[in-house]
Amino acid sequence: MSEIDLAAVTQATVDKLEPLGGVLKTFKDMVSVTVPRENIVEAVSIAKASGFEMLSDVFGIDYLTYPGHQGERFSVVYNMRNPEGNGRIFIRVDVGEGASLPTITGLFKAANFMEREVYDMFGVTFEGHPDLRRLLLPEDFDGHPHRKDFPLGETPTLFGEGRFLDPAAFRAGLIGADPGLTGWKGGAAKGAHSEQEFGQGAGMHGKESGKP
Amino acid sequence: MSAQDLGRTATVTREEQHGEFETRYMRINVGPQHPSTHGVLRLVVDLDGEEIVGIKPQIGYLHTGFEKTMENRTYQQGVTYSNRMDYLHGFAHDLAYVLSVEKLMEARVPDRAQRIRVALNELNRIASHLVFIGTGLLDMGALTPFFYTMREREMLLDIFELVCGVRMNFGYFRVGGLYRDVPDEFLPAVEAFLGTFPKMIEQYERLFAKNDIFVNRLKNVGVLSRETALDWGLTGPSLRASGVPLDFRKAAPYSGYEDYDFDIPTYDAGDALSRMLIRVDEMRESLKIVRQAIGRMEPGPIRDPDRRISLPPRSELENSMEAVIFHFKLVTEGFHPPRGEAYVATESARGELGYYIVSDGGSMPYRVKIRVPSLINLQSLEPACLGGMFADMIVNIASLDPILGDVDK
Repeated sequence: MSEIDLAAVTQATVDKLEPLGGVLKTFKDMVSVTVPRENIVEAVSIAKASGFEMLSDVFGIDYLTYPGHQGERFSVVYNMRNPEGNGRIFIRVDVGEGASLPTITGLFKAANFMEREVYDMFGVTFEGHPDLRRLLLPEDFDGHPHRKDFPLGETPTLFGEGRFLDPAAFRAGLIGADPGLTGWKGGAAKGAHSEQEFGQGAGMHGKESGKP
Repeated sequence: MSAQDLGRTATVTREEQHGEFETRYMRINVGPQHPSTHGVLRLVVDLDGEEIVGIKPQIGYLHTGFEKTMENRTYQQGVTYSNRMDYLHGFAHDLAYVLSVEKLMEARVPDRAQRIRVALNELNRIASHLVFIGTGLLDMGALTPFFYTMREREMLLDIFELVCGVRMNFGYFRVGGLYRDVPDEFLPAVEAFLGTFPKMIEQYERLFAKNDIFVNRLKNVGVLSRETALDWGLTGPSLRASGVPLDFRKAAPYSGYEDYDFDIPTYDAGDALSRMLIRVDEMRESLKIVRQAIGRMEPGPIRDPDRRISLPPRSELENSMEAVIFHFKLVTEGFHPPRGEAYVATESARGELGYYIVSDGGSMPYRVKIRVPSLINLQSLEPACLGGMFADMIVNIASLDPILGDVDK
């Protein structure tokens, strides 16, 4: 497929997407079309029929803290390409918090893991997905870590027998406000805490007891 | 999900009554700690006797949150993380990351840096394929080839150590060029490797590629037709083994790959044998590229001279106030790419690899989405294994070449 053909194919696809409410946006050599939520399956199938036969990726973006962003909070991007590999189109859809999208697993089997990852990381659900479970994180994980309001480094780490490492206590240990996990600095080093307490692992406590 | 709920993941459940006897599918667990799962891959497999009727990968044991971490570091610090995902082909991840940032910054990478990048990327591809062949044959019970492939890989790791000081987790590429120039010993070491390796490939072929036991074991195992492979999003050598000549080095060239003369080997059968043999052919093509890249390597700068991106030379810091200011700004906060989004697809040893980077104009990426090949390719395990024998599943995992660090990110 030559360069001119490819531009024509991309243009034809964009023309077909515009009646669905698609809004074209280009940045450098990347073509992206934003379509309304209800038309996403149709838009993806049009792109597939027009030559973008492979689904490269589906992923989410959280625009919560993006400067000057207006509109819905999340964008889900469908990265599609032709089997020759030189043409690519990004189909985007904006979704709000708690909203859901129709699945495209009927069009591409490959979308299975990709949609599960979006659900896992952003909490966007996909209606009609055959097996919508978390992909990379454990099933009992609380929250969706790629959201911009999910704090970094604040996940309590669970150890055996119900003990877990509380991040706040761990940080207190590092700055010397508390003996912490290792007793590296602070009370234990200065002898303020008994040796027995130190031996039990300060900074780690049972889920129920709440306090170290 | 509790252990009892695992039943939900089965694709098929069947209970049959034959008089007094009852037939049931058996569900067994494979991994995560099992040598043939190439890391920490866990599979829940439903079996009808020896035949696989359902297979579900359970992944995430190595999930490290690289994307989130990169969103909280400056752009230049990103190369510390990128190569840690695919630890066998780290240069591909480094390259894909810096290419996306360079697209945002519109950086101009000097020719010498491009050629060093290409040469190292291809040498690393060979190293990755060597591990693939060694461990793949190990899974089938052939112990000897592993020692041969590791011997040659050692030569390559020595070259990488020479260039960037470490054998894995390189972090050698920088946005706009390289960390430093290659040492004088680099070219002789690569020449020595280029001199011995073609004979080694012939040795491997004598050892297994034309071996009847090997061929009969793999022929018509785990067949993925062209349509199935496209539908399941397979990329890389595994897709080319199914007859689709998609290689981003040719289709959408980057880093000057359009200037190199090399072929894309393809096979039509789509079985495990093709997926094994295509990697041997690819090593030959990579050798061609390395030979051309080092042949054209000429002295010159290895970094974009643009002061927005690259640190000023050390000598200037002593007599230029401006250089000190640029140095200070770059070290403390890094550069600020203009607002926008960039994606560059590259070809790693496993398939399409690309970083989708969203910039909000700040000194850290707003969003980094890594399109890892192993994660998407792993889905093809299901069509490759269903209806086959349990023992063939091990062969299929090996032939699809997932790297679990690359799967879990």
